[in-house]
Amino acid sequence: MFAFNTQLELRRITISSLITCIYLPSIVTVISYRGSLYYVGKGSSFYILVLIFIAELLKSFYLSAPNDIQGKKGKTSKTKASDVLKSFVFLLGVNFCFFIGIILFGAPVLDLHEETLMLSTLLTILTIFPLILHSGVECSMQLLFGVKSFARDTVVEMLVNNAMLTVCGAWLGAVVIPLDWNTPWQQWPIPCYLGAIGGYLLANVLTVFKATLMTAAYKYPAVNFLVMILNKLRVSK
Amino acid sequence: MKEKWNFIFYLIWFSYLIMSAVLMFGHGFLLSRKTMSDITECQHLETFDCSGRERGNSSIEESCTLDEKIKQILSVTGSPLICAPSHGRVVFILVDALRYDFTEYDDKLEKPLPYQNRLPVMQRTLELCPDCVRLFRFIADPPTTTLQRVKALVTGSLPTFIDASSNFAAMELQEDNIIDQVVNAGHHAVLLGDDTWSRLMPRRWFRAHTMYSFHTWDLDTVDIEVDSKIYDELKKDDWDLLVAHYLGVDHAGHRYGPNHSEMKRKLDETNARIEKIIKIIPKDVILYVVGDHGMTESGDHGGESKAERTAAMFAYRGAGFGGQSPDIQTGREVEQTDLAPTMSAAFGRPPPAPSLGNILFPVLPKMTVAETLLHLTNSLKQVSQYLVRYGEESQQVSLDRLAHLINATREQIEKAATVKTEDDLSIYVSNVRLLMDNVRIVFREVWVEFDTVSMLRALLLLILVIFFNWLIVEGIPIERLPNIFASTFVSCGLISMAICVSVCYTVFHFELLEDVHHGVILSTGLISSALTCVLVIMHWDGISQRWYEGRSPIYERFSRGALMASAAVLLSNSYIIEEGAELSFLALSVLGTIAWNIGTIKAFTLWVGFGATLVISRSYRGCREEQGDCWTSIGVGSTGQASRTALVMALGSMAAVVAIARRHVGWRGHGVVLAGLFACAHWALGWGALGSPSRSRQLARGSWLILGSMFVLLWKRERFGAILPLIVCSLLFFIANALVLGASFAPSAALGLLAGYLALNVVSMMKNGNSKFSLSTRCSSSVACMWALLASYQFYGTGHHATLGHVRWAPAFHAGDPNYLPIGPFVTGALVSLELFGMPFMFGAAVPLLALWGRNGAAAAGPRTQMAAVFTLCLKFGLCFAVRVFMSALSATIHCRHLMIWGVFTPKLLFESGACAAALLGTVVGATLTAWHVPTQIKPS
Repeated sequence: MFAFNTQLELRRITISSLITCIYLPSIVTVISYRGSLYYVGKGSSFYILVLIFIAELLKSFYLSAPNDIQGKKGKTSKTKASDVLKSFVFLLGVNFCFFIGIILFGAPVLDLHEETLMLSTLLTILTIFPLILHSGVECSMQLLFGVKSFARDTVVEMLVNNAMLTVCGAWLGAVVIPLDWNTPWQQWPIPCYLGAIGGYLLANVLTVFKATLMTAAYKYPAVNFLVMILNKLRVSK
Repeated sequence: MKEKWNFIFYLIWFSYLIMSAVLMFGHGFLLSRKTMSDITECQHLETFDCSGRERGNSSIEESCTLDEKIKQILSVTGSPLICAPSHGRVVFILVDALRYDFTEYDDKLEKPLPYQNRLPVMQRTLELCPDCVRLFRFIADPPTTTLQRVKALVTGSLPTFIDASSNFAAMELQEDNIIDQVVNAGHHAVLLGDDTWSRLMPRRWFRAHTMYSFHTWDLDTVDIEVDSKIYDELKKDDWDLLVAHYLGVDHAGHRYGPNHSEMKRKLDETNARIEKIIKIIPKDVILYVVGDHGMTESGDHGGESKAERTAAMFAYRGAGFGGQSPDIQTGREVEQTDLAPTMSAAFGRPPPAPSLGNILFPVLPKMTVAETLLHLTNSLKQVSQYLVRYGEESQQVSLDRLAHLINATREQIEKAATVKTEDDLSIYVSNVRLLMDNVRIVFREVWVEFDTVSMLRALLLLILVIFFNWLIVEGIPIERLPNIFASTFVSCGLISMAICVSVCYTVFHFELLEDVHHGVILSTGLISSALTCVLVIMHWDGISQRWYEGRSPIYERFSRGALMASAAVLLSNSYIIEEGAELSFLALSVLGTIAWNIGTIKAFTLWVGFGATLVISRSYRGCREEQGDCWTSIGVGSTGQASRTALVMALGSMAAVVAIARRHVGWRGHGVVLAGLFACAHWALGWGALGSPSRSRQLARGSWLILGSMFVLLWKRERFGAILPLIVCSLLFFIANALVLGASFAPSAALGLLAGYLALNVVSMMKNGNSKFSLSTRCSSSVACMWALLASYQFYGTGHHATLGHVRWAPAFHAGDPNYLPIGPFVTGALVSLELFGMPFMFGAAVPLLALWGRNGAAAAGPRTQMAAVFTLCLKFGLCFAVRVFMSALSATIHCRHLMIWGVFTPKLLFESGACAAALLGTVVGATLTAWHVPTQIKPS
């Protein structure tokens, strides 16, 4: 995991992760109660993606709102239109890359494009979209191609961590597909779809957990031991 | 540079250890039986005269009763088999998995379980007419799987998993069986239900309505279909044998187990069915209702527990049965092998040639003494013929035992003439039964029982070899390896192995040891493990230091995990069925993490190219039967003549590979081009109706000749190190692969080559600490794991599947029929196994390239480092395959009573061992080539 620089960042990250921990399970619960969990691959359930999109958007406003200490306001409002267009194109490109990647990993080539596209869109929204919202198109491009290192920025580090776990979750979700249980949730792309959501959720839960521990560590230094263990986990990168 | 040959010897030693352990396992696990295509013939009574001799041309009318005639014939020694004068009609209903206790009925049961008291019809008819009904325990022999059981029921033999015969490819039954006997006698047989029957015995049925039987979760479709036909069929009288196979009970058992209300429903349905059938059929028609096997309490079958073996047999004939008091008792145990001779006797035919059963007179109509004797002698004569023929064809049973049995049967045949009264007959019947039981016991020993001890020993040897060699490659610092192998370690090992072998043979000579092969394998395996253990202990300081110092990077741990995952899922049948997709997924993931670690656009592009190759090769991946939708959409037998597009693709891929490769391999390119041209011409000329098969075959032979001579020329010394010969070697193997794969699958070989090349380039870009070659990155286990996963994938990528039905036999004949050659069987075997495992072989031979290739490859380093690097990689690659083989052997052991053991796990074990053998052989070839070409002088560095 990562270290927090300031008290303020700690609070922001915790709260935004907490929001995720609340809204994502509730979306999943609602759709599973409505019985549309088995149709997440269909275009008709695009509204789920829209919901997640809006939630991420709102969250990012909170996360990257100008804080009182820095107080630079003029820069963000200036280049809105072209920025939005650029990010949109960039997101489309990333979406297409995910699409190709999923097919390489074994999704059907000639059919079920709708399902694959839904999965790749979900992955894009959960991984790249928050990054773009936070640090802009150019910066996230630089991040992707390894030009820039993100070691200094805690928020970016958290977002990258989330993205990695999301992709890992989708990857792991594929495990259940070949089993011969003949259940409706083994249909492509439901396991990967849910796996991605699960991975994202896990990343956020870990963040909250760590933040709680760190807060506790201010009071009870003994907890620092656990924090160190969590930090060790991160070294494996 | 003494040690370079020691490296090779060690690799050979390692391969020997792995393969010998696998062989030992197979010896204990795979029971095999020789099948013969003999058919029992019988002669009609009309061809004999009253003195019991065969009638010549003289057509003198004589008058004697049938009984007298039969008695006269029996008194003649060496008389042939006689067809019985009377024949009946039989309705044969097979209720899959009808266990004996399903049929019992007990009023006093207070709370019957779902499967108890569900078939009251049997008990009721028995009380109404004790002479019309027989209810027996019908004991099955393991393996208690439906296919093997159906074979046993129709042939009367004890089928094993591999019934070695001249033709593996077809599922069609090659042996004599009751259906053949019935059809050959001019009678008609009708089939309803499970399509296992029609696949086993195609083209014999008068009418057949069969359904696909692999949907084990579907309880009703097949049953409803049979019900809709059977009552109409029963009313017709143009058939003599009606076979109906109901699957519902078995499927209910698999899905829910016997203690479930669904089982209750299915048994109730069965009860209603039997009741209705008994009402419909005429009095002289015999009805047999049998179960082919039982089930365990969880509803599975396949093993040898009492519950799985005890099926039920219910026989009904309105006009009554024969048989006497102790034999007709309800609940008596009879063998399933008895059914085939009994049914043949009902049709007046002799037992099928491979039958080892008794005739069950209690379920046949009442007969005279003479007729009974006729049937008994027929069965004895058939068994004695079978014993003689089996002794000729196979050495499984020792000759003196066979001779003893043959003499005993002949004795009984001669005694037949002395039997006059009913009392004599019953003694004679029991004597014959005893004799038949003895015969069956002898064969059961070699055909049916697993040899658990040797299976466990083999597993132990495998795990010892894997563990210690893993310690050697992963533990001992690589810098020490050249010194270890320059020492006397390898020669010590080889000498001690030689001593072991000679001691074993000496002990065997003095008859203290029974099985010399097992002794040799076990002692050499243990001695080698002890030696490697000593080596590990001696270098324990280095091992502990290396493990203390470094944690391996994440991609390396991930790749190890991926390999272990690919081995662990061999325990699950659904993953084995989908293994092609799973292996490509894992190989792509492992290469992806490597590329991620390199982190350049070029590596990423190469990775995408690699993935695209795997995606394209998906179109060559076949389907197996269990993959329902895919299987039915493609259809059976689509591997015939290549289509026009396939031919163009084949020619194009071959031409492209040859043209691109030619420029980079110097003068050797000419040979490669020539061989490729011959291969292309072979396909083009052999294609379509206009082609000339003989010329095409000659071209293929020409191509093989060039390939052979090029392979010999590989050993010409090369000044610039081993890379060039290794590349040429891979190209030659590619052309050989494409040749045996044939035009329709040749492009998949090119795709395999391309995927390997792309992966090789990604590997060559791997980050080292500095720009120079680094042993620890280039020879890391991630590279070996990725290569092994890729090599395993290519088995599927070239259109194979791990089922015996997917073995293609056409490649054996693409260059002419090898059976005319003195070494014919060897050539056939080599070509077919090259077709199956050519890709693991090619990848194995290319392993040294992984270490040498590229700008910062080992080729720039000194020869000692080169050899050490190549050796480490080869051993790691071999270990990957060994781990997979070990896991598939383990899963075969664990699942030996699983439903799909003979359908999924055992074929997987066979093909995995084949791939492992090919990969090990390939690595030995590649490593030898490297050792031969490695520059001798040590550079001053």
